[in-house]
Amino acid sequence: MIGWIVLGLIVLVAVGVIAIYNRLVSTRNDVQGSWKQIDVQLKRRHDLVPNLVSSVKGAMTFEQDTLEKVMNARAKAVSATGMQARGEAENVLTQALGRLFAVMENYPDLKSNQNIMQLQEELTSTENRIAFARQLYNDLVANYRTRLQVFPNNLIASLFNFLPEEYFAAEEAARTAPAVDLSLKGK
Amino acid sequence: MPLTFIDIERQKNWRIAVFFLVLLLVYLAVALVVTAPLTDLTGPSTPRYWTVAVLLSFLAAGLHLWFSGGNAVAAVMHSLNARPPDPGDDIHRMFQNIVEEIHVVTGVKRKIQCAVIPSLSMNALAAADLQGNSLIAVTEGLLSRLTRPQAEAVVAHEAHHVLSGDCLETTVAASIFGTLSAALEKFRTLSSNRILFVPAVAVAWVLLKLSSLLNLFISREREYRADAAAVRMTRNPLALAEVFHLLSRSWRGAGFIGGGLEMLCIVNPQATTLDEREGFVADLLSTHPPLRKRMDIMLRMARVSVTELDARASGRNVRSAATAGPRYHAMSPKQVWQGPFTLQELAGLPWLGPLTWMTTDTAQAADRAWKDPLINAIFQARLAAPECKDSGMSCPSCCQPLKVTSQEGTQVSRCHFCAGTLIETAKIPRIIARTDRTNPCTERVTALARTVMKENQLRQVHRAFERSARSSVPALSCPKCGNRMYRGFYSMTHLIEVDRCSYCGLTWFDQDELAMLQCLIENRLVPDQGDMPATPSLQ
Repeated sequence: MIGWIVLGLIVLVAVGVIAIYNRLVSTRNDVQGSWKQIDVQLKRRHDLVPNLVSSVKGAMTFEQDTLEKVMNARAKAVSATGMQARGEAENVLTQALGRLFAVMENYPDLKSNQNIMQLQEELTSTENRIAFARQLYNDLVANYRTRLQVFPNNLIASLFNFLPEEYFAAEEAARTAPAVDLSLKGK
Repeated sequence: MPLTFIDIERQKNWRIAVFFLVLLLVYLAVALVVTAPLTDLTGPSTPRYWTVAVLLSFLAAGLHLWFSGGNAVAAVMHSLNARPPDPGDDIHRMFQNIVEEIHVVTGVKRKIQCAVIPSLSMNALAAADLQGNSLIAVTEGLLSRLTRPQAEAVVAHEAHHVLSGDCLETTVAASIFGTLSAALEKFRTLSSNRILFVPAVAVAWVLLKLSSLLNLFISREREYRADAAAVRMTRNPLALAEVFHLLSRSWRGAGFIGGGLEMLCIVNPQATTLDEREGFVADLLSTHPPLRKRMDIMLRMARVSVTELDARASGRNVRSAATAGPRYHAMSPKQVWQGPFTLQELAGLPWLGPLTWMTTDTAQAADRAWKDPLINAIFQARLAAPECKDSGMSCPSCCQPLKVTSQEGTQVSRCHFCAGTLIETAKIPRIIARTDRTNPCTERVTALARTVMKENQLRQVHRAFERSARSSVPALSCPKCGNRMYRGFYSMTHLIEVDRCSYCGLTWFDQDELAMLQCLIENRLVPDQGDMPATPSLQ
């Protein structure tokens, strides 16, 4: 009789372990999948930047400094390795691009150029996609980390060597969230 | 609120089941009423009778739900005449990009279609159906008046409806009863069979009455939640507040968006007092929360007051009026001073040359056109013009090749000689809606539009009077198919003569006619009844 109970308990524990293991794997895959999304968008931006720079170069003779900064930032972002370094390099590129867009406002003849306007729209769109992909990634990482750290999961995670994923850091200045109060009550 | 949109996606919707239950009960009631005389013949109701009745109503409700909810997205698109965005159009491309951006934040799990509704009203809606299609549609009017951040906020709001699943439930609710009322209409026109007609009407009438009760299920809260989610995605509460501010003062499509689609929209097309009220009854019966309150919540997040928002909106209008630039007068080949023109209008003048005499409002003396560097740039652009793409068609009035140019962000074919414009008829609403951006309503065009309208009004009266009267100008032939184009007024309230080819869906505007039309609609200039000569009675 006792033997049956012990056997039942073992089976129960085994089923629990399998369920938790599977859920951890699927969460980790979600995180890695969403990292691919960021990667795709970053690559897209790296491809678009040289096009934009070469097409505005002629008109913006006085802003060679800004253009150079953008190109340097891009080169660094392409060659950076490791999550931390990439995040920082990409943030530098974002800021350099932001400055370039601000300066472009002063050149009205750039606005009448269809090609440049299209490139700018594409880049703006890519910037947004990067930001959104990062939001999703960080949400999923937070989710995954919580799953790793809560009680029974942490035992299984350490047993099967699940490692916490790193956050993709947001740049400080550009996209800090405003003091958002999402509760509908506060009057 | 769940952590990510993937979590939301995993939640199931119980309200669909409620709708199914309501439908089931309705059909059961109908079955009982119809078979009531039969039970008298066969004796008291037996278990077998009940089983058959329940099974039949189950079947009927299931079929009804599937056929109305199964392909609801296509039905919504069809009823609003919505089309996918045009890739050749700047603003449409921006809209498509925004939808794809928002798609990224959802974890790219579900494809969201986007569409543009060819209407000048200002509204946006989301729809989803049981087959897993989902749609975000924005009207041309709203799209053309929004800046990029504002459009992002609107799309994010609608995307949350799609992802949270409350869109599915409202679409199914709308289509269960919407398709029914449409079917009822069709039935009434097609069928003369009275015997079939009566029970069908009875069922439809009951369902239509029930549909107003549906508002009980549609909570106002979901709009607040979608607003909050939009801010969470775009981090920009001010943009959404500006959208509400804009919507609160515009035509939201009452009369155009109907058929139970109100609950899919971002604001109720019918601006009712019930919507702006608060309290238990309003919460229960209304599907949309007060716009004012939604705006207040956004403004509180952005820490901006309403007066600041007002000042901003009016400041923007003033700026767009102030950037009009200097006015030019030009000596026409007939040695008559014409104007005032803006720089853009000058570029469209076919007879303007480097040696034309020019003067401005401020300058004292006249001078040759080439001496003004701004005007000289026009001639340089004309020399470079052969670079722009050939549309492959020739001008219907002067037979020169038409060039593809961009007007208000969309592609049109223009003749560089007579300054006429050929536009696909489907694109006209978006060009009219976008007058804010370039402001074609200069003094000259407004004055011209008034004169032309008055003249055409007289002509219309004459034409009605003497039916044989024909226009002396020969009809143009369509540059695409070669058939004769039909000449007529743009509409009965906008008396601008245009040439249309209904086979190819093309419309030809002579010089200034497009600007005049934009101007008439923008300034709401309508035929003036007072100035008319005594209208001859038409029969």
